[in-house]
Amino acid sequence: MMTDPLVQVIHSSVIAIALTLAAFLSAVWLYRRSGWLVSQPVLVTMLIIIGGIRLLGLDYQAYREAVVPISWLLGPATVALAVPLYRNVRRIRQALWPVMLTLLVGGVAIVALTLLFARWLGADVPVLMTLATKSVTMPIAMPLAEQLGGIAALAAVLVMLTGVAGTAMLPPLLSLCGVRHPAARGMAYGMNAHAVGTARALEEGDECGAFAALAMGALGALTAVLLPMAFLLWNVLVG
Amino acid sequence: MIKGLLLLLVMQVGGALLQQLWLPMLPGPVIGLLLLLVLLLVLGRIPQCLEQASSALFQYLPLLLAVPATGILLGGEVLLAQLPAISVGLLLSLLFCIPLCGWMMQRLIAAETDDD
Repeated sequence: MMTDPLVQVIHSSVIAIALTLAAFLSAVWLYRRSGWLVSQPVLVTMLIIIGGIRLLGLDYQAYREAVVPISWLLGPATVALAVPLYRNVRRIRQALWPVMLTLLVGGVAIVALTLLFARWLGADVPVLMTLATKSVTMPIAMPLAEQLGGIAALAAVLVMLTGVAGTAMLPPLLSLCGVRHPAARGMAYGMNAHAVGTARALEEGDECGAFAALAMGALGALTAVLLPMAFLLWNVLVG
Repeated sequence: MIKGLLLLLVMQVGGALLQQLWLPMLPGPVIGLLLLLVLLLVLGRIPQCLEQASSALFQYLPLLLAVPATGILLGGEVLLAQLPAISVGLLLSLLFCIPLCGWMMQRLIAAETDDD
């Protein structure tokens, strides 16, 4: 049996914050050491934190309240995504129409095909609402999924799965289809595999990386604006 | 650094306000992102303080994202129950959309260069 003072210390918010920071440091260390794409820091940090919560027998709601000093920073971090987007404004202007058309057609295809296949395979509505956000970078996908009636936590996992699977599939598929232009490869990376794909695109070169970052940011903003409207319209027309 | 963070927070508050008033379907921070983008376009440059704050935040982005991601503890059963539909749907759509996006962009760029 644990004594009462010990239990109190374990359940204090200091332990929750320390656990979170330690999990992050271990994940970053592992990522640098191994360099595996699957050992993404977000995924590994999440797994270590969950392990810690289970091991220490913490209450999940209490944990989330304890780490608010960390988690509130996600809001300003999302706003700050405007900075890299602004850096690429000049490149967008140069190829404005190709970028806009590809974003619109590709973005609609990504959402529609994912929903169609998943519906056909028997996924239910909250899962579908979550899947709709899977190609968008995580700080946008999570609140968006919640807003649409999906599950924010599931959105994080699906976004991660998409990033890892997409980045593995992108290079061979693009080569197979004869896509060689760096801007075109970059767009495909950023639209289909967001941050993970953008990191891989940067390895292919500067132009490829810039278009991937642009595609990721623009598709994120576009999805955040258009998807809720599309669902509203759908509800009005159908229900 | 603190100045930059304050600027980000002001934009976030602006976003939250707009969300409450007119745009309930958009997350507040996303509106804040668009507000900041407009501000940067008007300014025509990135202020030093904003540069510092944003690069500091991005450095720890995985940490900030991992905390809400732990919520999978609450939604894990849904994921496991529908894992086949989710994963096959995901992979199939990637299989179609990756070539579509790359091919379309390449064709459009080629068309644009031909015009010039």
